[in-house]
Amino acid sequence: DPDAVAKAFVEHYYSTFDANRPGLVSLYQEGSMLTFEGQKIQGSQNIVAKLTGLPFQQCKHNITTVDCQPSGPAGGMLVFVSGNLQLAGEQHALKFSQMFHLISNQGNYYVFNDIFRLNYA
Amino acid sequence: MALPNQQTVDYPSFKLVIVGDGGTGKTTFVKRHLTGEFEKKYEPTIGVEVHPLDFFTNCGKIRFYCWDTAGQEKFGGLRDGYYIHGQCAIIMFDVTARLTYKNVPTWHRDLCRVCENIPIVLCGNKVDVKNRQVKAKQVTFHRKKNLQYYEISAKSNYNFEKPFLYLARKLAGDANLHFVESPALAPPEVQIDLAAQQQHEAELAAAASQPLPDDDDDTFE
Repeated sequence: DPDAVAKAFVEHYYSTFDANRPGLVSLYQEGSMLTFEGQKIQGSQNIVAKLTGLPFQQCKHNITTVDCQPSGPAGGMLVFVSGNLQLAGEQHALKFSQMFHLISNQGNYYVFNDIFRLNYA
Repeated sequence: MALPNQQTVDYPSFKLVIVGDGGTGKTTFVKRHLTGEFEKKYEPTIGVEVHPLDFFTNCGKIRFYCWDTAGQEKFGGLRDGYYIHGQCAIIMFDVTARLTYKNVPTWHRDLCRVCENIPIVLCGNKVDVKNRQVKAKQVTFHRKKNLQYYEISAKSNYNFEKPFLYLARKLAGDANLHFVESPALAPPEVQIDLAAQQQHEAELAAAASQPLPDDDDDTFE
């Protein structure tokens, strides 16, 4: 059931992001790419360096929607997430959307493409 | 520029954009002005909180609609919508965090790309903290770009009015404009060592008469 897989992935991704950002490294591989607010970053080490280097310590992602589609012949999956992100010390939550392209590697998924944007005018 | 759900006034008002790295004290700074804090409005689609800050000058009242982010700058550059129709600006850095001064040229470039030729004040915040990483004499960026520079301490209210007075004079085209009454400010949370700060101001004045370091805008060691 792809929807269940997507939901489980999303829960795992954001709970790891909020509790232990360096732990995200195992979800990416060398060929993975992240576009973060327009900045392209390639490779699991570089991606996690970017995410752990963000200038806030505590944050909490609250997921509003998760959509997914099967992608390609090899059992890949596109996952599109929208939600709110609360930073410690900020009064207002930020709205964000994020798209993941998951690739199946013998039944284990990793993130091949990841695009993140804050939603504001 | 006020938000659509915000009261407009019949005296001169200007959109003031505040930029600078996350954690430099932009929100703390605008929140010192109590009536502005009381009348602030948040617009979630733009992700901005607008504080209307009134000041009393010898020519009458003036209002700055101070645009403050909800923390988006911690993720990357800000959208053009934040800058558009900006009529004056404050670029803030933290004198206790070197990287925030190093990023000032980027904020200045982003700002000037949308807002050409507006008056800009550079503010070095947190001068009440003993362990400064950016000394007054190391601050030279404003001289290269013709900005005004002030050392401030939001938590102690030190120099709170200075940036607004500079901008009001530029916007009014009147170098003699002055404030005739102080706005109500939140009480100081820390005390500044005035003797030490006078020393810093003296160093700053001395540095202003020295030739500019012959380096690129983006380098700072």
